[in-house]
Amino acid sequence: MTAREYFAEHRRLWLGLCSVFFVVSAWELVLTYIFPVNPFFFTKPSLIAAAFKEQIQGAKLWHDLAVSSQAFLWGFSFAVIVGIPVGLVMGWRRRVEYSLDPFLTALYASPLVALAPLFIIVFGVGVLGKAALVFLLSVFPFVFNAFAGVKSTDSLLINVIRSFGGSEKDLYLKVILPSTMPYIIAGARLAIGRGLVGIIVGEFYAASEGIGFAITQAGDTYRLPDMFVGIIILSLIAVVLTELMRKLEMTVAPWKASEEVR
Amino acid sequence: MAPFIQAQNLTLAFRSKNRESVTALTGLNLAVAKGEFVSIVGPSGCGKSTFLNVLLGLIKHDSGTLELNGTPITGPGQERAMVFQEFGLLPWRTVAANVELGLEIKGTPAAERAKHAAKLINLVGLNGFENHYPHELSGGMKQRVGLARALATEPEVLLMDEPFAALDAQTRDLMQTELLQIWERTNKTVLFVTHSIEEAAYLSDRVIVMTARPGRTKDVLQIKLPRPREYEMRLTPEFNEIKLRIWEVLKEELTSRGMP
Repeated sequence: MTAREYFAEHRRLWLGLCSVFFVVSAWELVLTYIFPVNPFFFTKPSLIAAAFKEQIQGAKLWHDLAVSSQAFLWGFSFAVIVGIPVGLVMGWRRRVEYSLDPFLTALYASPLVALAPLFIIVFGVGVLGKAALVFLLSVFPFVFNAFAGVKSTDSLLINVIRSFGGSEKDLYLKVILPSTMPYIIAGARLAIGRGLVGIIVGEFYAASEGIGFAITQAGDTYRLPDMFVGIIILSLIAVVLTELMRKLEMTVAPWKASEEVR
Repeated sequence: MAPFIQAQNLTLAFRSKNRESVTALTGLNLAVAKGEFVSIVGPSGCGKSTFLNVLLGLIKHDSGTLELNGTPITGPGQERAMVFQEFGLLPWRTVAANVELGLEIKGTPAAERAKHAAKLINLVGLNGFENHYPHELSGGMKQRVGLARALATEPEVLLMDEPFAALDAQTRDLMQTELLQIWERTNKTVLFVTHSIEEAAYLSDRVIVMTARPGRTKDVLQIKLPRPREYEMRLTPEFNEIKLRIWEVLKEELTSRGMP
């Protein structure tokens, strides 16, 4: 393979890297030579890099990450455990759909972070309050996507199972759940983003530790490089998690992936 | 002796979206002997596919009697299996796992399922594709899987709902000949719904022509061509004469509806 062929094949990766490199360099150069702004009010990549190095060597960052992850994992796990079955049953049983619909539509449409103060009051400033907030924000993508997945299940496949004398359980396990899987994973991708919002909002509001707290604290004390470190770590986490979901989708639903390519 | 499958005065109506009652079948009569290959042709929407679904046990008829081997059909059963027009394969299952589906629902042990599926995959000529997924197969291969899956539960009656309609012309010709070979080897009773006069004439012992909706039996034609039948037989004058006979019966139904 020649170099030209190599770059043609990996165009996506290399163009992406180049563009990130270009933007970061431009940011650095502009702030160093053209508008040398007071570092108190704005910062540049070299300072952020220095802060980053310092922080990953220290203990506080890791402690904050551990605290936030704990709340995130609890909230997210409960969103999976509650959201998927509710969505499945809603999709399959019209009575359940019609009964739950008003609540879900209202809650999904409104900015749920507005409920943050209430959740903090009811569940406290610790892990429980934040986990509850994460749950609230990330449960809906699971419910709605599982619901949409069931609704789009091919009725022919339902008939196939029935024609072999399959039971309700066979319908769920052999057709409805597998055909809903790609939808649920797409929902998980949305839920991750929303769950991270839940953590950060919770910690902005009332907390004494955690990555969201670290960001606000750095901002309040005008330590902009430290603030950016927190933000960059958050976006790295979000990117890694959503990419993992994409990979998972490819393994769970190879037939969908091939549909997209064609 | 009573026929193997018998439908007498079968009637079925269903409600359409605007709540009008639509009569799909009215006074349908049919008798099929064990091991017979019977095709059903008729105008679009005459209820021939609906009738297959009634036979399969997925739809309940309103009145009349429908019996298999002297027992009324009330729901799906082991002795019947369907080959669907759009294949109906589960995209997340491999060829082998798709073939095993019916056995799995029936509760056959895994080892026995695998052995049986391998035999059927061999019968439909898909050796080497056991671990492929449906999206990696051509239309003809998908329907071979559909056929193997239907045969896997060892039904006595094979119901085929325009099974080759979604295939290209050459694959279709090939599949028809192979279906005849498989039928001759397995001695199944086949009910085959099709739009194609040629297909019906080539495959069947008898062809049932249905009226336009509401559907009932208009005429039954015996196809007295020798078996085993080869593709070349379709080029003989006798074969064309049979096609013409079917066409003349069907034509009245098509033109009576203002269709060409």
